[in-house]
Order: sequence, then C-alpha cells, then structure tokens
Amino acid sequence: MEKSERRLALSHRILMEAEKPARYTGGELNSVMKEADLVKIRFCFCFPDVYEIGMSHLGMQILYGLLNSYEDVWCERVFSPWTDMDAIMRREHIPLFALESQDPVRDFDFLGFTLQYEMCYVNILQVLELSGLALYAKDRKEDDPIVIGGGPCTYNCEPIADFFDLFYIGEGEVSYRALFDLYLDCRQKGLGKKDFLRKAAVIEGIYVPSLYDIAYNDDGIVKSIEPAASDIPATVKKALVKDLDEAYYNTAPVVPFIQATQDRAVLEVMRGCIRGCRFCQAGQIYKPVRIRSVDKLIQYAVELLENTGYDELSLSSLSTSDHPMLKELLERLISMCNERKINISLPSLRIDAFSLDVMNKVQDVKKNSLTFAPEAGSQRMRNVINKGLTVENILSGAELAFKGGWNKVKLYFMIGLPGEEDEDVAAIAELSNEVAALYYDTVPKSERQGRVSVTASSSFFVPKPFTAFQWAAMNRPEEFLRKAAYCKSKIREQLNQKSLVYHYHDSNTTIIEGILARGDRRLSSVIEEVYRNGGIFDAWTETFSYERWMEAFERCGIDYGSYIYRERAEDEIFPWDMIDCGVNKKYLYREWENSKKGTVSPNCRDKCTGCGCTSFTCGICIAPRGGTL
Amino acid sequence: MSVSVRFKFSRKGPVRYIGHLDMLRYFQKAVMRSGLPARYSEGFHPHQIMSFAYPLGVSMETEGDYMDLDLTEELPEEEMVRRLNEVMDEGVKVTRASILIENAENAMSLVTAADYRIEISGDTSVLDKAVAELADTKELLIDGGKTKRGGKPKDPKNIRPGILDIHTEDGGALFMRLVSGSAMNVRPADVFDKLNGFAGGVLYPECICRLDIYADTDGKLTALSETQRKYA
Repeated sequence: MEKSERRLALSHRILMEAEKPARYTGGELNSVMKEADLVKIRFCFCFPDVYEIGMSHLGMQILYGLLNSYEDVWCERVFSPWTDMDAIMRREHIPLFALESQDPVRDFDFLGFTLQYEMCYVNILQVLELSGLALYAKDRKEDDPIVIGGGPCTYNCEPIADFFDLFYIGEGEVSYRALFDLYLDCRQKGLGKKDFLRKAAVIEGIYVPSLYDIAYNDDGIVKSIEPAASDIPATVKKALVKDLDEAYYNTAPVVPFIQATQDRAVLEVMRGCIRGCRFCQAGQIYKPVRIRSVDKLIQYAVELLENTGYDELSLSSLSTSDHPMLKELLERLISMCNERKINISLPSLRIDAFSLDVMNKVQDVKKNSLTFAPEAGSQRMRNVINKGLTVENILSGAELAFKGGWNKVKLYFMIGLPGEEDEDVAAIAELSNEVAALYYDTVPKSERQGRVSVTASSSFFVPKPFTAFQWAAMNRPEEFLRKAAYCKSKIREQLNQKSLVYHYHDSNTTIIEGILARGDRRLSSVIEEVYRNGGIFDAWTETFSYERWMEAFERCGIDYGSYIYRERAEDEIFPWDMIDCGVNKKYLYREWENSKKGTVSPNCRDKCTGCGCTSFTCGICIAPRGGTL
Repeated sequence: MSVSVRFKFSRKGPVRYIGHLDMLRYFQKAVMRSGLPARYSEGFHPHQIMSFAYPLGVSMETEGDYMDLDLTEELPEEEMVRRLNEVMDEGVKVTRASILIENAENAMSLVTAADYRIEISGDTSVLDKAVAELADTKELLIDGGKTKRGGKPKDPKNIRPGILDIHTEDGGALFMRLVSGSAMNVRPADVFDKLNGFAGGVLYPECICRLDIYADTDGKLTALSETQRKYA
C-alpha cells in the first residue's frame, strides 16, 4: 500500500477539529509501510507523550528501524493524543490507532512503551484505555497485545509493573529477535500468553513482573522479592551491546512533516559515561562507556544527511568531550558539513579552548549562549556529588568565551542535594556573580556589546535508583522553596546582580517524580486513581495537578512520604532489587559514604572503582588504563 | 551564477493535513536530498532562496501550486523534475520545472486568479439550486477582519466580484475560479460558506483542491508555469 492511498482512521471533519491534524496522519518520509498480511508480528511502538516530543527521541528511531529491518515484523508508531484529540476520541468512541496502517492498536501483537520519564506514567493508562485495553495486565484478554516497556524508567518499573506483561531491561538492539522468535514458536505450538511470559522470563534482559512475589513489612518497606518458580532468575541483568560499531543504527529515521522538538539529524557518538556523578542515573545504567569509531560515524553522518535532508547534525552522548577521537571526528565532520551547508550542533561539550575553536568553525556564528553545568554552587558540594568541574574550569572556559565574543552564559544547578547547607545555596549566587564580574574584567569597555547576561537555573534534586543517592532523603517542598527564595535573595545581593537572572523549577512536580522514581508496586492504584480523575500529560505544567496526586494518595491510603523523605538503611531491600544494571549495590553504598565525607572518586578512564561493570567485558572496562578506548 | 526555477507541484492524500510552513520545510529537505545546486543566501544563517506562489492551507490538496527556487547552475528542466521526484515521498509530486528569464518577478507577485474543485458531502441535491442563487447575487459580504494590533474591525468585504466562475461538474464536485492576489483575494472556504448559506447549511466540504494558479498576461489568464519562461 502506498502512503498516499492510505485510508485515515479519522474523518476529515474530525481532523479539522484537531489543533494539529498532522500528529495523527502519519505517512512521513522514511516511515515504513508493509503488507499487513505478509508479516507475522505487528508491533506498535508508543512514546506516551505528544507527537512532537516522541518524534524527537533517538531511541525510538533506532528501534523502529531495527524492528522493521526484520522482514516478518512491521513496527508502527503511536503517541499520546493531545488533550483536544483525547476528548474527541472519547466522545466519538474512536479506538486509538497506529500512524502507519491507521489500524487499531488493540489488533497488534505487541504494544511497546518507551519509558523516558516518570511524569508520563498516567499517559500509559491513557493509551491503554483509548486502545480499548484493560489497564491491568491481569485483566487483559488472551488475544490482546502483549504490553512491554523499555527505557530508563524500567530500572525501577515497579510503580507501573501491574500494567505491563513484561519489561525489557537494557539496550533494545540485543534481545528483540529472541523475544519474537519465542513468540512465534509459542503461537505455532498453540501456547497461550502465560506460557509465553514464563519462557520469556529467561531471555537476556526480560523481566516479567507477574512472576515475582513482593512481600512488605508493616512499615511498608520491602521484606522480600521472590521469583515465582525456581527457573525464574532472581535478578534480571540488563541486555547490553558490547560493540557499538557492530550494532544496528538507523540512518534513515522518520522525518516529521510538522516541526518536532528536535528538528535535526542525530548521530550517537558513544554510550555511557566515565564520570560517575553521584546524582546521575544515566551515568550508571548505561555503563560501561562504549564508543563508535570515527569511520563508522562519518559513514552514518553521510547516510543520515542523504536520507533525511536535514540541514543540521547533532552529536549525541552523555559527555561528547570524553570521546577519545573527538578531534579527528570533528575535523572530518566539519569539512564534510561545510561543503554541504550543514550546521553541526554540539550539546554536552565541555567549554574549553578546543570546543570554543570548534564552535567558531561550525555554528552559524550568532554567538548564542554557552552552557555550563556546575550542578552545585560550592566546591564542597561538587565534591559531594563527584562533579569534577572546578571554579577554575568554569572561569577559564568563560574567560575564553568572553574573549571569543560570547556574552551570554547559562549555568545549571541543583538545589536540595544531600548534605546541602545554606552557604552552598548562597554559593550559586556567588559563582554566578564571579562569572559576570569576569566579563567586565576580561572585555574592555570599548569592545563590550551591552551587558553580559548570566542565567542561573536550578532544578530540585530527585534521588534516583542505581545512584549513590538512592539511599538519600529528599527535601520537602517548603524546604525546596525556602532554599530557592534564599538563592534568589542572594542573587539580588551580588554586585553584578543586574546582569544575573535566576530561574527555578516547580517543586510539586519534583515531589511526584521523586515518589514514582523510588516507589513500589503499591503505587499502581494511585496512578490509576490520578488517571481516573482526569490526570494526563503530567509532564506539562498546564495539565499537571499536584492536588490530584495528593487526593489519590489519601484515597488509596498510601503514605508517600516514606518513599522520599527518609534516609534509607544500608541493608534495606529496594523495590528494584530484582533488576541488575551491572553496577552493584555495594559499590553504590561506598559512593554514598564517600559523598558524605566529600571524597571524590576517579573517572573510569583514570582508575577503575570496581562498580561491577567489568562483568560485561567490553568498552572502557577492557581498554588499557589512561589510554584510549 | 544564479538561475531561478519555477516548480509546479501537486499534493494529494493524507499529506494535505500539513500547513504552509511545514510544506516549506518539506521542500527544503527534499532539495537537500536531491542534491540540486541550490543557491544560499549570504549572512549568518545561510538558507535556500525559496518562495511559494500561494500558501497552501491545512487540508487543501493541489494539482497546480508553485515553488520558486534559485540555483547556482542551470540544469535541463526534465532532469530537475526527475531528481526531485526521486527523493519525494508519496503524496507530493513535482509535475514541471520552468527555468525563468533573468530578473523574473517572483511567483507570489504574479498571482491574479486560481481554480478550485471542491468535493462535497451532505445533501448535495440542493447544490445546483444554491449555485444558481449565489451566481445571481450581486453582493456577498464577508467579515473584513480586524486591522493589525487589535484595532477596529474593518468594513465587510464584498467577494462577489472576485468569483469569476462557479458551476457544478459532472460527478457532483463544485468548480470555482476566484480572484487572488494582493488587491483582492477570495478564499474558496469563504465562497463555500456563502454557498452553504443558500443551501441551508446541509453541505460539507470534504476536500478543496487547487487546480492551478494564474497570472494576468495582457488581460489573459496564463498558468504560472507558462509565464516568464526562458525557453518557450
């Protein structure tokens, strides 16, 4: 079937009622059409947020390409209908459909959710209900799709475990083929969903929550996690790609017609991070660091640009500056891209002489703002969180930038970090002032283009599973707000306060995120309650309601405070202890203790800290110390 | 060197639900993929020099819209059509390329009229009568809109003089030829709303398709693809 001849699920009249009808019509460049009758497995991939957000996600594009590279599988996409379309579909009783075929989601074999942030959890229920599926896995019928979740939130998927048949822990490139083969085998043998799930539980990276019994103590803390049978693994270890050069990469991603949040080609240069910042979950769960070779990256870059027509290429990783061959990569990319009038964007690049030189060569030089992420204001706190960025690093980077013509700087901080004192909060204001003052010291009056602009933003800290801070207590909302107000007052006291702007995030969203991040299975009833009371698109301030959550905790009799406001004991069983991300709990506890002492730990390139990831025998773990990967 | 080329294109099917700016971005990417030697603007943010004759609204199909593009070298017209269509996705198709004379006016400034075909659902038995009544009317007033910056409402506009032709076709579709351009611009949706008024509101426009866009050459309407051509 040709894309242009598809019959749309929504009538013209209904599409014209929608704010952006193209969110629901599919047919974009590089979207994949297959004959439904000729494939064996139909997989519907869902990013449970609005189209423009979901289409900006690299992981979805990789998996979409990978799954469609299997001849017997047709992978399609679905996103959360925005509130306007949500209301129309309920009013008109239209079942949710996939973009490509426009067929109802409930007719698929699999419905896969990517779980990128906790605040999208209610939207999972929205998608299930609009599809005509029961919310709880136990209530769904034999021929309903298998509901599977993947992505960073699966590392503690317990709050949503009851809604899913299985979770995929780790990198999607590894186990999907095995899962599909098992599915086809079970279907051929006439085995049901239960048998399939039982067999799937032994595939690398597959976690079947219904096969684990969770018992709780009277105080609500987990007492035990028991696999339902002896052949079910006690822990599920993440699936991991050992050699990125050998892994699948989608160089023909779907190009949206309407402008997505990320409107550019994305080149993933490496996976994982060597830095070991103690607040950062991504830094732990994507270990160990693995890189793509320069030759491979150049090849992908050329293919990406030819297949999409984008005029911008973005390098993606957790810390691009740590790619050992970055200089060579950029030299070759710059010459290739300048020839084609392609702009290169370099997020997550450390600001130093090298990167400023590169930026001068690649950006259509409007000298936009430069970003530093000190994360904490004082050196003491930066030691606590193991953020290896010193005042000297920041000031020397800023000085070079000011000399190079930049006059806008953004600084990112967190408030509410473990062990934080008021003087650490005040240090945010002092550091911001120092950066502003440096501008006036560095740039002579005659060369200044107006005032320097330093924007300090702070988010409130949320402890996440599989970090050194998973034991830590979170601040209460009033404490967050008191500290933010204090920070603001300190900003106002600075000499250069007219050059400083300070923003801080919403504390209420932070509290809910914190609960969902370290919560357990008992939260499913709360999430359902919030959804039943109209909660969708919690990640959006205009639709989020803190009161709705508070009422739901009350009605479900859940003491949410115990998930976030207490420091956890060393030997406490965590709700996510059946998941093994490769980094062991002992190492994380050591890091928790180091943080309390303010002791910094080396990065993976300088010295192995024994986190446990050497068991994967790949990437930096098997590279010579101090050398390249 | 710089050479301007006018591309005529069609757009059919589900892709009609994208707006004008998204169409522009779609063509910019298509030009990149095709490898056509686009000329870029000078300055901090170089971009392709591309313009459209008439913005294509959300949900409108077309069989004859136009996009002007500057290139750094001249290529055979058929080759340019082929190279763009090779990288085009379903739904959008380039039907013609016309190399323009030097210093040609841009397509937008040439527009004087456009033809439309509207597929109609609802009680279409009243359509012929409504068309006849509309054609007999001397004055069709529509809301003049507001002046910029929240000023006073403008006077209502009479769009009747801008309807050059309106009739039903075999098969039940509605044809209209409407005046377009900066002096007077009549939108097909406005004419349809008036028509629906005569019909008692029982009609619904399922699809509006622009058939072609015309320039005024010595008092005669000429399709944009046939004006200002370097090679006749």
